[in-house]
Amino acid sequence: MTKARARWLLLGPAGLWYAALLVLPLAVVLVYSLGERAPAGGYAPALTLAQYANLGSRWTAFQNTLVLAPVGTLAALLIAYPLAYFLAVKSNPRWRTALLVLVIVPFWTSILIRSYAWIFLLGGRGIPALLADLGLGDIRLINTPFAVLVGIVYGYLPLMVFPIYVSLERLDKRLLEASSDLGAPPWRSFLQVTLPLSLPGVATGSMLVFILLMGEYLIPQMLGGGKVFFVGNALVDLFLQSRNWAFGSAMAVTLVAVMLVTVTLYMRFLSRIGAARDDVGLM
Amino acid sequence: MAYAEGGETIAEFVDTTKRFGKVLAADRLNLKIGKGEFLSFLGPSGCGKTTALRMLAGFEPPTEGRILIDGQDIGAEPAHRRPVNMVFQHYALFPHMTVAENVGYGLRQRRPKLAKDDIAARVARALDTVRLGDFGPRRIWEMSGGQQQRVALARAIVNEPKILLLDEPMAALDAKLRGQMQMELLSLQRKLGITFILVTHDQQEALSMSDRICIMGKGRISQIGTPRELYDRPANRYVADFVGRANILPGTVIRNIGEHALVRLASNHDVVVEAPRPVSPGDKVDIAIRPEALRLGTAAEPGLPDITATVAHMTFLGEHVEYLLRHPDLGELQVMVPRQAERALPGVDVGTQLHVLWDQGNGLILGQD
Amino acid sequence: MQDDNAPISRRKFAEELERYRKGSVSRRHFLGVTGLGTAMAVMAGAMPMLRPRGAHAADLGDRAVLATWPNYHDVENFAIFQKETGVATQVNVFGSNEEMLAKLQAGGSGWDVFVPTNYTITTYVDADLIEPLDLSKLPNYDAAAFDARFADAGTVNGKLYAVPKNWGTTGMAWDSTKAKAPFTSWKEFFDLTMTDFSGRTMVHDYQLTTIGNALKYYGYSFNSVDPKELADAEKLLLQVKPHLFAISSDYQPSMRNGDAWMTMCWTGEGKQMNRDIPEIHFALGKEGGEIWSDYYAIPKNAPHREAAYALINFLIDPQVNAREATAHGFPVADSRVNALLPKEVLADPILYPAADLLNVQEFGAAATLTDPNRAELMARFKSA
Repeated sequence: MTKARARWLLLGPAGLWYAALLVLPLAVVLVYSLGERAPAGGYAPALTLAQYANLGSRWTAFQNTLVLAPVGTLAALLIAYPLAYFLAVKSNPRWRTALLVLVIVPFWTSILIRSYAWIFLLGGRGIPALLADLGLGDIRLINTPFAVLVGIVYGYLPLMVFPIYVSLERLDKRLLEASSDLGAPPWRSFLQVTLPLSLPGVATGSMLVFILLMGEYLIPQMLGGGKVFFVGNALVDLFLQSRNWAFGSAMAVTLVAVMLVTVTLYMRFLSRIGAARDDVGLM
Repeated sequence: MAYAEGGETIAEFVDTTKRFGKVLAADRLNLKIGKGEFLSFLGPSGCGKTTALRMLAGFEPPTEGRILIDGQDIGAEPAHRRPVNMVFQHYALFPHMTVAENVGYGLRQRRPKLAKDDIAARVARALDTVRLGDFGPRRIWEMSGGQQQRVALARAIVNEPKILLLDEPMAALDAKLRGQMQMELLSLQRKLGITFILVTHDQQEALSMSDRICIMGKGRISQIGTPRELYDRPANRYVADFVGRANILPGTVIRNIGEHALVRLASNHDVVVEAPRPVSPGDKVDIAIRPEALRLGTAAEPGLPDITATVAHMTFLGEHVEYLLRHPDLGELQVMVPRQAERALPGVDVGTQLHVLWDQGNGLILGQD
Repeated sequence: MQDDNAPISRRKFAEELERYRKGSVSRRHFLGVTGLGTAMAVMAGAMPMLRPRGAHAADLGDRAVLATWPNYHDVENFAIFQKETGVATQVNVFGSNEEMLAKLQAGGSGWDVFVPTNYTITTYVDADLIEPLDLSKLPNYDAAAFDARFADAGTVNGKLYAVPKNWGTTGMAWDSTKAKAPFTSWKEFFDLTMTDFSGRTMVHDYQLTTIGNALKYYGYSFNSVDPKELADAEKLLLQVKPHLFAISSDYQPSMRNGDAWMTMCWTGEGKQMNRDIPEIHFALGKEGGEIWSDYYAIPKNAPHREAAYALINFLIDPQVNAREATAHGFPVADSRVNALLPKEVLADPILYPAADLLNVQEFGAAATLTDPNRAELMARFKSA
């Protein structure tokens, strides 16, 4: 078999898959975004940038998304890292698998059901009632950006934990002994060895969570009470409620563009640290 | 530099014991290590040699007993506060740092901080020492196995430790490179005057490099001594077997002859052997005799016991030929014959009967294991 | 209309179904969540054992496919229907009229009977998606027995396209322990939201009702698409927004656990909450508001047309329909059926409001649903 044929055989299925499920729909969305809303809803062919000109009317959605996606990613990271560290380094290996399974268990349940649990927990009879008993007064949690943040962190935590866990678990423990042997106390070993070597996991996890958050709509809908409006919510409304496919497509294209830009910036940033830290991102 | 009783001691194990659960990894180790000495821990895997090294480095706290460095009990000190450095078995180089960053790592941990150019100068010097002067900016994965080994060495010696610990540092190198590295290590040790403690399972390596060797088995120290002492006077069957090769034969003491003894073998032959420990007539003992201490002849020699055995196998080794003979009462006997001496044995082949010649005073009585 | 289309496991589905049955999830929410609209269709087609095999199905065929809303029938009735005719009914449930419309527009739905809401029927007729009903095949239909308000929308351009199924209203539900006086109007609803009920009120995530009721605040038509009137409604909504607890059609959980004190509310759900928590009251706005009516209709090219007629005819039989009504609890427009229902049901002020209150309610209009300005207004309101 020639090399070229082998390459086609290897890449063919994925190529077709991408062409059918990614490139084609994207092309359709792009074409739609230049069209108009049909009188009774849907799409009417046209060649206009009017939909893009109207994007400003959804500025709040972009604003909420562009603030809560990075903040949510960061919050998830700050909670996931110590957890992953504990699992990979500190936990008893005999219980490790069981603990890992516990981390995924919530994933066995629909995010919707879990969100309902949070609606109750953050609702008036949940945590706020508890806080009120402690004399902390009337604290409103549900249907606030904070509640959305809680939901986001909760919902996406495993996606952050696992890549970090893997990179920490693969870390050669002898490197830490070497660091200690060379005079570094544990916290400095962590900063100089563990952390930089787990950056690939951090990068993967953050990227996964961030990209998914950019398209998130269910959690803001459920825990934000429809008041914390994401781009995803705007999109869902445009396609399912007002059925303005053209404007929805323009928004989708814009979202993809915004995502590309942020992800590229993030990659640049990572490789900049990586260059200083010896291309950790490539390892 | 051999360690002499009364010389300066740099480190000491005092009844040091380590248990991992029910496993006794190190059993009441007692050992003094001299300043500037090259000491090897030799033994098969699982004998406790690595545990001893790791306790010294501070990676494993002893379960019982003490460890002293420079007279100070450092049993409770964490690894990062001990004046020792280690060259790890697989080097454990930091993959996210350059060669120079790896070597400078220990210096960067010093508090108060060292000046940057001071660090750079010391790193350069250390790299020169291991002949890697131009490799500072390289990535670790761009280095060959032997080069990585030297980086690991430089990373340790740059800190000028009181003791350098080497955990099977040459195990991953091929035979030729290993020999070369052994010589380099040795000359480095002479040059720096630092105490080296090497852990190895390779007896040749231990014999050729060490001032003293500490033979370990099943968590215990079997014997400590210079390579010659260990080879010539193994304390017990385990050492005799592990260092070099030996014929080990049971016998009964007939009588003492000064520092020697007359011992009757299972074949009723009487031989005169060294008696490093006091024995009395009637004692059942094991005798060890090196294959090269026996000779072969076509006839018996007067004054020597007449041990006749059949050639079972011959192995040509270049300068020597190794003979394996069988005796109905003594079992297998290994005899190493120099090529020169072999000329006196024309036409010998498997099945030929030969006389095994045991000169008086060769061989010794072993102690209990 | 609901937008939660996340995949859902079978077990979760069963739980959601249970919750729906207990009344803590609205039907729209339920469908969106479970993705039932598509799932049911796929399941029914993919599992041969679900397909009926009637012995005496010669004339009618062996099955009929019904597209309807969840929990809107007595399953026992389908079993009886199969026994009588040999026709097994495949039920596909949907979350919104828009979804039904999209499915029919896409073609090849395979439906024989579906249940459109009043304001969508003209759209179906205009798009040539449904066919006029042949009354000779519906002997159980007695036009005279129906309250015209709930039957009119079935007739378009003088032709009968759909026969009434059930009807209901959209009013307000509130926690009576928190209110100084009972609510009677949308004016009070919005005014008190900005004062006593601040942070405790929910409005639908549905432009038809949320904008419609805001229009009623000013006394405008529920269906207004007049730019000036819509501008007034938008002003009100934006003013109210900071005081809202949530914009969501899934209001039962919040109402039940006390986070929300008041909400826009569909009849059936008002009844469900009132039944479980008597402190939760329900009323219609005296200025008016929405009244709605669902119908049975047959799509063009229905694969089992004869079975479709037989099924509709069976379901509108007063005895059968009374069992249906008892099972799902929604009001029925057929006087013959009401005669069979217990007195206390008919006397329930939530399900059967007083005539003077009912008379001012408006049916949603087709244009109201599809109007782009109203859609944009809603979007501005939500993203404000």
